[in-house]
Amino acid sequence: MINWSGRRKSLMILLFIGPMLLGLLVFNVYPIFFSTYISFTNRNQFRPYPDCTEVANKIIEPTCWGLTKAPTGLGQPFRIREPFYANYTDLLGQFFTGPSLLNLLRILAVLVPIIIAAQVDKRLGRQLVRPVSSGVVWLAGIVGAIAVALLVNLGGAYYTLLNAGDFVGVIVQTVLYVVLRVPLTLVFAMVLALVLNSDFIKGRAIFRVLLFVPWAASSLAILIALIWQFFFREQGTINQFLSAVFGIKGPTWLNMEWGAMSAIVLADIWFSYPFMMIIILGALQSIPGEQYEAAEIDGASWWQQFSSITLPLLRPAILPAIVLTSISAFQMFGTAFAMTAGGPIKGAGKPGFTEFVMVYAFKQITQTQAYGRMGAFAVIIFILLFAATLYSLRVTRITKGAYE
Amino acid sequence: MKRRPSPVILALQYLLLIAAAIFAFYPVWFAILASGRLGSRLYSLNLAGMLLPIEWTFENYRVMLFDRPFLTWLTNSLIVAAITMGSSMLFATSAAFAFSRFRFKGRELGLIFFLALQAFPGILSLIPVAQLLSALGLYGSKLGLVFAYTTGTLIFCTWNLKGYFDTIPIDLEEAGMIDGAGPIQSFLLIALPLARPALAVTALFAFLAGWSDFVFASVLVPAPDSAKMLVPGMYSLANSMSVPWGYFAAGAVMIIIPVSALFLYLQRFFESGLTLGGVKG
Repeated sequence: MINWSGRRKSLMILLFIGPMLLGLLVFNVYPIFFSTYISFTNRNQFRPYPDCTEVANKIIEPTCWGLTKAPTGLGQPFRIREPFYANYTDLLGQFFTGPSLLNLLRILAVLVPIIIAAQVDKRLGRQLVRPVSSGVVWLAGIVGAIAVALLVNLGGAYYTLLNAGDFVGVIVQTVLYVVLRVPLTLVFAMVLALVLNSDFIKGRAIFRVLLFVPWAASSLAILIALIWQFFFREQGTINQFLSAVFGIKGPTWLNMEWGAMSAIVLADIWFSYPFMMIIILGALQSIPGEQYEAAEIDGASWWQQFSSITLPLLRPAILPAIVLTSISAFQMFGTAFAMTAGGPIKGAGKPGFTEFVMVYAFKQITQTQAYGRMGAFAVIIFILLFAATLYSLRVTRITKGAYE
Repeated sequence: MKRRPSPVILALQYLLLIAAAIFAFYPVWFAILASGRLGSRLYSLNLAGMLLPIEWTFENYRVMLFDRPFLTWLTNSLIVAAITMGSSMLFATSAAFAFSRFRFKGRELGLIFFLALQAFPGILSLIPVAQLLSALGLYGSKLGLVFAYTTGTLIFCTWNLKGYFDTIPIDLEEAGMIDGAGPIQSFLLIALPLARPALAVTALFAFLAGWSDFVFASVLVPAPDSAKMLVPGMYSLANSMSVPWGYFAAGAVMIIIPVSALFLYLQRFFESGLTLGGVKG
């Protein structure tokens, strides 16, 4: 170990970390303070410039630092809003009202049967002889969830919430997108990984390479998303295929609310399943074969082996991956922006049906220049994502023990 | 040994794999097909034309290479991505080494603090970064982009490399120290050569951060066509009503194929580099 102390050690450490820290302070820490500051102001396209005589602006506004000549131009300087949290109430206001919260409760009620099923399953799992298999319990949970969904009119609740203000609508449709995409990706990746892991399939190496193509191409996600967009155009490849084979005139997918949503989910599954598949394949290969042999001797069916050996042993690998992909799906920008740019529109000045969190932020920043409001938006999203990151660290830490 | 599945199940499994392989490969294959067709004929494909290159011309490639600023965009992006890669490797490897080998106050806290910073999404720092760069007189320049990208990759690169340095036994460096090597020598001469796989993976990541970005490249360089980065340039081609889609396809093929081939080639390397390094608390 390195064994000196005092000034020399501090200097050496500073030499190693200094440049990185400086970069982070300027481009990562400072933007957070800046966003927090402008979230209290009414900065927008009509009030784009700071008043450099004010102390707060002198400190935090880079254009007031005198490095280049101070910005001048049309419009008035921006001011702190009255009350200073007005941007936050503008964004969150409609959310904390009776009807919105009630609708949220209606949506959350659908989860109750599934949570009950999970608890019942856990309790049954501790008993020596299971009265009912876990498949039955989960099936009952899902049937219950569908029943509750019909009972509370899930679709109606979703649409009312969608129209309860821009911010709430954007968050709700982003969550819907995450809820659709992550489980579908997981199932698709799981099925492929299970088949690829079977010893009786020939040519696995070739399939492996072909199935990794999306992952290899995903570094240029936005270009591939533009290819997907072409598929779903009115005269795109899918509609040409439909008319050539079935003689049907296909719809303009990306102009339909659910068409656009499904198209984006499909394209994003394409991008994201290989990562899941790698994780699951790696975990599958680490399961010792003796476990299956023992189960085989005891006469366990394929489903019993899958639900009592494979799934529990995959859990430590899959759980952190699910949390991480959910966080990144929540922040998805490229696919939606390239395919629909947020459309189809709901109405003038409103975010479109597929305008997810980051697409909304990008459009607000570049098109309407509502900087003050976007500052508040950034702070709220940061708090949400920060909480999610802490949770993912916890999940990783809990599941890490399984491998050591 | 596991039971052999019945022929029906086996056939279904093959069918599934083939369907998935088509799903996985078709978008790239379609781009290749489209790149060999003249613009308007993409809207009147027959079934065979959707699957096979029955018609082929290099016209789109010729236009992209010689009549459009494609090569300029490519050079712009290559320069920015290469400098980003160099600078972020320089900063991140030294910081990662220090976090792995030195013990100092605030080390643990610093590492957690970095993860917290990472939670602030890049798009939302667009306004402050643009303000900063215009105050520094770097708005619209390649150097400004390099600053934004480098600082955007630093945290991931540092964490990843720190994880890898942790797995390298310290004995070699201690032996070096007995022979009189200081921390700088042991970093440059012992730790860096041992960390080569992780360095390669991290460098590729840093390169791609500059190479594939759309958000910063389109906002921070609002300049004329010739100053554009590759991805925003291609985006403007694909969504333009007056430009045949075949041009875009030809350009996309020329970019996507080499990058994908590199990825597939490095795949094993990549997996081991990520799993050996990675986020380990």
